[in-house]
Amino acid sequence: MDKVKTAKRKQTIGQFLNRESVAGIVCTSPFIIGFLVFMIVPMALSLYYSLCNYNILSPPTWTGLTNYIKAFTGDARFYKTLGVTFFYAIISVPLRLVFALFVAMLLVRKSRMSAFYRAVYYLPSIIGGSVAVSILWKRMFAMDGVFNSILKVIGIDTNFAWLGNTSTAIWTLIILSVWQFGSSMLIFLASIKQIPGSLYEAAEVDGAKKPTQFWRITLPLLTPTIFFNLVMQMINGFLAFTQCYIITQGKPMDSTLFYTVYMYQQSFEYYNTGYGAALAWIMLAIVGLVTAVLFATKKFWVYDGGL
Amino acid sequence: MKKVISKILAVALAAMMAVSMTACGGGSSTAASTAGSTAATSAAGGSAALTFAWWGNQVRNERTQAALDLYTEQNPGITFDGQFSEWADYWTKLATASAAHNLPDLVQMDYKYLAQYVENGLLLDLQPYVDNGTLDVSGISESILDSGRIGDGLYAICIGVNAPAMLYNKTLLDEYGIKVKDNMTMDEFIALSKEVYEKTGYKTDAGYGGGENFIDYTIRSQGQELCNNDGTAFGVSSAEDFEPYFAIYENGIKEGWMLGSEIYAERTVGTVEQSPLVYGSSPDTMSWCYFAYSNQLSAYQAAADASNITIGLSTWPAQNPQLADYLKPGQFISATVDSKNPDEAVKLIDWWTNSLECNQVLLAERGIPASATVAEELNPQLDEMTQKASDFVNNVVAKNCSTISPAAPESSTPLLDMYDQLQEAVCYGQLSAKDAAAQLFEQGNAVLAG
Amino acid sequence: MKAKNRMHNIIYHVLVFLFGLVMIYPLLWMIFSSFKPTNTIFATAATLLPENWTAANYATGWKGFANVPFGRFFANSLFISTIATIGTVFSSVLVAYGFSRCKFPGKKLLFSAMLITMMLPAQVLMIPQYLWYNQLGWVGSYLPLIVPYFFAIQGFFVYLMNNFIDGIPRDLDEAARIDGCSFYGIFARVILPLVVPAMITATIFSFIWRWDDFLGALLYVKNSAQYPACLALKLFCDPGSSSDYGAMFAMATLSILPVVIIFISLQKYLVDGIATSGLKG
Repeated sequence: MDKVKTAKRKQTIGQFLNRESVAGIVCTSPFIIGFLVFMIVPMALSLYYSLCNYNILSPPTWTGLTNYIKAFTGDARFYKTLGVTFFYAIISVPLRLVFALFVAMLLVRKSRMSAFYRAVYYLPSIIGGSVAVSILWKRMFAMDGVFNSILKVIGIDTNFAWLGNTSTAIWTLIILSVWQFGSSMLIFLASIKQIPGSLYEAAEVDGAKKPTQFWRITLPLLTPTIFFNLVMQMINGFLAFTQCYIITQGKPMDSTLFYTVYMYQQSFEYYNTGYGAALAWIMLAIVGLVTAVLFATKKFWVYDGGL
Repeated sequence: MKKVISKILAVALAAMMAVSMTACGGGSSTAASTAGSTAATSAAGGSAALTFAWWGNQVRNERTQAALDLYTEQNPGITFDGQFSEWADYWTKLATASAAHNLPDLVQMDYKYLAQYVENGLLLDLQPYVDNGTLDVSGISESILDSGRIGDGLYAICIGVNAPAMLYNKTLLDEYGIKVKDNMTMDEFIALSKEVYEKTGYKTDAGYGGGENFIDYTIRSQGQELCNNDGTAFGVSSAEDFEPYFAIYENGIKEGWMLGSEIYAERTVGTVEQSPLVYGSSPDTMSWCYFAYSNQLSAYQAAADASNITIGLSTWPAQNPQLADYLKPGQFISATVDSKNPDEAVKLIDWWTNSLECNQVLLAERGIPASATVAEELNPQLDEMTQKASDFVNNVVAKNCSTISPAAPESSTPLLDMYDQLQEAVCYGQLSAKDAAAQLFEQGNAVLAG
Repeated sequence: MKAKNRMHNIIYHVLVFLFGLVMIYPLLWMIFSSFKPTNTIFATAATLLPENWTAANYATGWKGFANVPFGRFFANSLFISTIATIGTVFSSVLVAYGFSRCKFPGKKLLFSAMLITMMLPAQVLMIPQYLWYNQLGWVGSYLPLIVPYFFAIQGFFVYLMNNFIDGIPRDLDEAARIDGCSFYGIFARVILPLVVPAMITATIFSFIWRWDDFLGALLYVKNSAQYPACLALKLFCDPGSSSDYGAMFAMATLSILPVVIIFISLQKYLVDGIATSGLKG
């Protein structure tokens, strides 16, 4: 910083601001300020709470690593919810991405209806996590719900309780997550549109068929977007909260209890807020590790060159 | 670069200290006087802006706000910020505000959380105001008033008296000539459940997902207490004392008359309209009864109207009904220590308790008014269901009950979930009643001991 | 050849349409439920169309709570979501440009910090953030729901834009630089126009997320008249006493309208974005 300051005197302000490093800092300054003002204090405080015995209502008291030790050694539900969350993330994220890419490819094609179709396919993502969804989803998968009616139409007569069975309940949440694939789809759509049309024209000239064009041009050029979606959805998958919180609340028998919901229960329902904070930081470490692994694989499959 | 990082850390650390220090400082809350909401002004001329937070539905929000408006009309200068939330959100909001000592002046309180808020020193002791005459509690019976006491202090005033009430499908039972009598014993209840199941196919919902309520009731009927006085252990001496409670579910599921757990996974448990009592597509997904509280009668009847069901009410079953049953303060009103105008806040509590006018607006939606005089004068003006509930409380429960168990100690909060989980495990056949009782006794005691 | 093409077309439309129907069935269920008498919603959950159509739910829902009409809640939501979205989109694109096109000391660290802010469960920050905003004197106002978004605190958007800007050929920057553009000139004249589709995408996401964010409002808004719609929606359902599902569905239906309108009016920019034409040749 000091060096920068001395350099400043020797230049006009314009020249100074146009130095690459200065421009970088100026451009990213909103985030730097935002991070320092709005994020770092709350994050540091929560880290501090994780080392304390804290019940929100009274001031925290320092207990060192007790909360962390308790999580790893004395809490079966910690492992249980971690397992549920891993299962959910690992199944739902790839499904959602493949589905989003597939639909994006379908809808990228121009027709008079395409605006309408895009709206229809995006609609489920709009209602997000409102109260309406919680009721809606339970009605869909109830014993007398729509899903069983559909099965009846195709000849499977059942009134199976999809939400009431410990091995199927989590799938209803996975389906919900796949159903709300809209955000990934939009990102795919936008980046498919970013691929220069000239590439396809050249491919046509060379006689490449549509599927070949997809595998040779679209997919490779989409890898940065796929990577982005993968990282974001993985993070979202591990931190998923709303679906479980508003729909299943972990029922039945904790089989759908997401890690973050358990953390929330500890913090706001059992008033073990210090313990809840410790759970959050453990999750941060896990997600950080997963993300780091993804980044490490980046160079093997993500296209990294200009066009 | 290193310098920058260490500077950032230093700033962050300093800021963190500042925040946590005020957070711990207690009482020294900085009033948020920004946009829209004005901080309290001097109480000298009887003018103040009070915040009042409660949970509830559209009807309650409407009536409560109307009552507060009426108060403002009669006491110009006192204005209110009404904050209403849904039940779960309400407690999140309150807890968060308490961390910054930024609680509303007045809060609606529940028996479940009373001890917790008092033990952490967040509620105002009202006893001095009773002593100096600001708050008149002479109309409230001693036992109801006592439910708001913890230690020597009076921290909450009951604003609606209820009692546990078993609601049942009267239309169905009448059709089959089945009679329900008040003060049933547990054995009679089980026999009745079996009879209903055999004749009608309807199953039984016996306090499922109701947390501590029914287990407390069962333990009381055994002449014991769920928690000991200082909240450091269960009031029962051995795991076997919990067994009868879990056995109801184990046997009920085995014998078929108890509603299976699956059905609750697709409902929001405790939600009136989704209760198996009033909603279901076939008898085997419905229940003939539901363990509720008396003030919920209107809501259940309204929901049952859609299927042309008449709801009857009776007492919860218990080995010894007289020991088990109690009058319950449905909700309380409390002033908080964060209030800048405790005098004005307490005056509202007084008005709420003793003014007929106020209660004519509220119309006993939260339960029977705590003041006997107000309750009596108000009674003729209540709708049919509210009167029916109030008759039940006064004529059935009040005559055959004991004092309510002391407010659950703070240490027992994590247990609320444990009761439900063990109950669920028994219903799913994952645990026997014996094992569930043993687990509860061992783990619960560990939690209570801290 | 032509007939075959038409066949393909028909199959395409039938499939996309049918599948779309499956996708929006739950939504249709919600919309039609809002026209059923409120106490029959659960009893008739298995049938999609109401037997007796009624608009009563819209009337009761619109009445709102305690003299605050529901329209007020919508207006609040619109205000918060619009301002916060503008802040998010513009601050994020600027920050993303900095990350994508400039080398500067501490960049890697800063980028990691941004990723890390996304990895901490948001719920754990509720209390510390509340304490901090309380310290700033912001509790009871909309400031905590708006101001932070002007500082690109949602790493998702920065990363999203960053990804798009990375996809823009650097030759374009070089050309502009030779023409005498500064870093800022390149941002305004070259990058910004090309990244419009990404900004539109971000606008849609951000608007929806702000529109749905009830937790912030729950903690920070003091007066019920200032509640946003998502928080007010929850007030129709109170466990333990009567809930009005009809009114809730009615208002939930209305509350997706603004988002749908935004989506439909913006989506053509998404797809027929300037990017394609700009990059050709």
